Amino acid sequence: MSNKAARNLFILGSLFFFAIFLGLTYDTMGKLDKRAPEITEQVNAGKMVWHKYDCIGCHTILGNGSYFAPDLTKATERKPKGYLKRFLMDPKSANPNASMPKLGIRDEEADDLIAFLDWNSKVDTNGWPPKPILAAAGGVAGKELTEGQKLYQSLGCAACHLIDGIGGTTGPELTTVGARRDRAWLIGHFKNPEEYVKNSAMPKVEAPEADIEKLADYMITLK
Amino acid sequence: MSIKYQSQKIAEYFYTFAVVLFLVQVVVGIIAALQFIWPSFFILNFNTIRTLHINALVVWLLTGLMGATYYVVPEESETELWSLPLAKLQFWATVVAITAVVLGYIWMGLNPQANSPIMGITPLNEGREYIEAPRWADVLIVISVLLFLFINFMTMLKTKKWTGIQGTLIGGLTVLALMYLPGMFYTKSMVKDQFWWWWVVHLWVEGAWEVIAGALLAFMLMKVVGARREVVEKWMYIEVGFVMFTGILGTGHHYYWIGTPGYWLWVGGIFSSLEPLPLLFMVWDAFRTTREARNVENRAGLYYTVAHAIFNFVGAGLWGVIHTLPQINKWTHGTQITTAHGHLAFYGAYVLLVLAMIYITLPAIRGVKAFNASRAFQSFWWMTISMVFIVLTITGAGMVQVYMERLMGLDYVAVKANYNMWFWILRAIFGVGFLIGVGIFVIDFFRLGKEPAPAVTAAPERL
Repeated sequence: MSNKAARNLFILGSLFFFAIFLGLTYDTMGKLDKRAPEITEQVNAGKMVWHKYDCIGCHTILGNGSYFAPDLTKATERKPKGYLKRFLMDPKSANPNASMPKLGIRDEEADDLIAFLDWNSKVDTNGWPPKPILAAAGGVAGKELTEGQKLYQSLGCAACHLIDGIGGTTGPELTTVGARRDRAWLIGHFKNPEEYVKNSAMPKVEAPEADIEKLADYMITLK
Repeated sequence: MSIKYQSQKIAEYFYTFAVVLFLVQVVVGIIAALQFIWPSFFILNFNTIRTLHINALVVWLLTGLMGATYYVVPEESETELWSLPLAKLQFWATVVAITAVVLGYIWMGLNPQANSPIMGITPLNEGREYIEAPRWADVLIVISVLLFLFINFMTMLKTKKWTGIQGTLIGGLTVLALMYLPGMFYTKSMVKDQFWWWWVVHLWVEGAWEVIAGALLAFMLMKVVGARREVVEKWMYIEVGFVMFTGILGTGHHYYWIGTPGYWLWVGGIFSSLEPLPLLFMVWDAFRTTREARNVENRAGLYYTVAHAIFNFVGAGLWGVIHTLPQINKWTHGTQITTAHGHLAFYGAYVLLVLAMIYITLPAIRGVKAFNASRAFQSFWWMTISMVFIVLTITGAGMVQVYMERLMGLDYVAVKANYNMWFWILRAIFGVGFLIGVGIFVIDFFRLGKEPAPAVTAAPERL
């Protein structure tokens, strides 16, 4: 191959592939709005808050960003919104172990930011992030789950609490909660956390009385 | 070694600024590494430190490449630069603009409210990874790059030599300038925001920058081993051609999970799997060209050139291809695996490239006949061994994270703060090793040719 032929291959080939890329980009642009909810004024205001505080300097969203702090794509699915709001405005008041600094996010800004995060959680991301294999498997090693264990999973308690090393770290660990609390305390606390723990960031457990009792029965087995 | 055209000396201005920013980048990198262990270490939060770390990187590599271009174009065109005063103006304007941007980041880091939007635009930090520079700075950057391209283009127009090397170099730089534009408008949708953001980031580092690297590799092979122009230029065209054929549609590997249609899984998976091939050609090209070389005067230059080709392939190629297939990327996307790839890719593809260009052109700029290369080798080994271990520790952290967080469902913070703690500690230690290497390099940069010439120009080879 002569140098001139190699040069022409480089230039024309690059233009060819760029033309395909432009075509795909055009097609994609026409499809994006259908794969995500409508963008309200509040969602857009929340995006500006996201940029203003340079959130991406620590977090990732849709998996892109800085890998220093949790991915926020599904933040509003994983944590109650009340908890998120309190955390955004003063992280350590919601979770004393938090390493996020208090940035001065105002009340209204927090609401906007949560609306923005909620919008992101509803984008069709081709199934990302995938469900963890172990959590998706449900019962472990063929053992039937108790009613209380099933409720613990379906109510999403593990998003914040840890049992035997599995779960979130934003709430207190529950591995030995049965040794610390009795049944009545647990039931009362589920119904109204703030009455039992001052400034608790935990939301009320919205479930029928019978389920709350079953959940408490499961908790007292944890010793 | 000496320069043929006085205006080539402008390259040293750019190199000096680049070297200073390199040192800044690595110092803030160590602060960031310590913040992984103690999140509240230092007065600036991690987001500001990280912004400084990656912006210093991009800017010092760009200024290094600008300096290299100001050296290459007069040499290839066989004439003085079209306007040296304008090139100096471009240099100082760039320094002033970059300094202002950095001060803005620090101000915002100390007082986040200072970044409150003014007429819908955040004035100090755009809050977008890599392109954090605010809109006013974007405009200044574009003006600077256009001025830079204009000066070089006018220089080429003086003699109309149109050699393959400078044509490819200027072509790559023009694409680089154009691909900055998709990052300069606001979109309400985070999906579209990231879509266009990848045009900038991906088409820079896996497109335009690799084309520039291909052109400079050809130039360096001619300089250090006297390779024949016809041969190196032909292989250059083939290499940069394949970079573009695979890299443009390879952008698709960033469009798997951000809300884009499913066909990108196929496009990105297929084309990005092929992206390591042109980088492998470059390694083969470097070895084939240098194997027969005898009496190489500038051994440091040769060393860095070949190392650049190897680590470009390992860092950008291998460390990228291991997690580029959608089936794997589904689990690794957004984890420390990406960080590991980023570190080795930037080090191999661009840090070593700019350092190689400095070792090949700086002795000529300073009119040095022979220089003692021992510091160049020392800094190379300190930096390279440290970087390899930094990357291995982050890769290990990424594997633990993928397994525990993504597969088992453990909490992000639990994995980061407990199970990966040893990796962060080791990474910080190797970071100090890297800083030592950079320190030796910086000393060498400022002293090269300013010390008495070594008594024996080249130590006898012991084989």
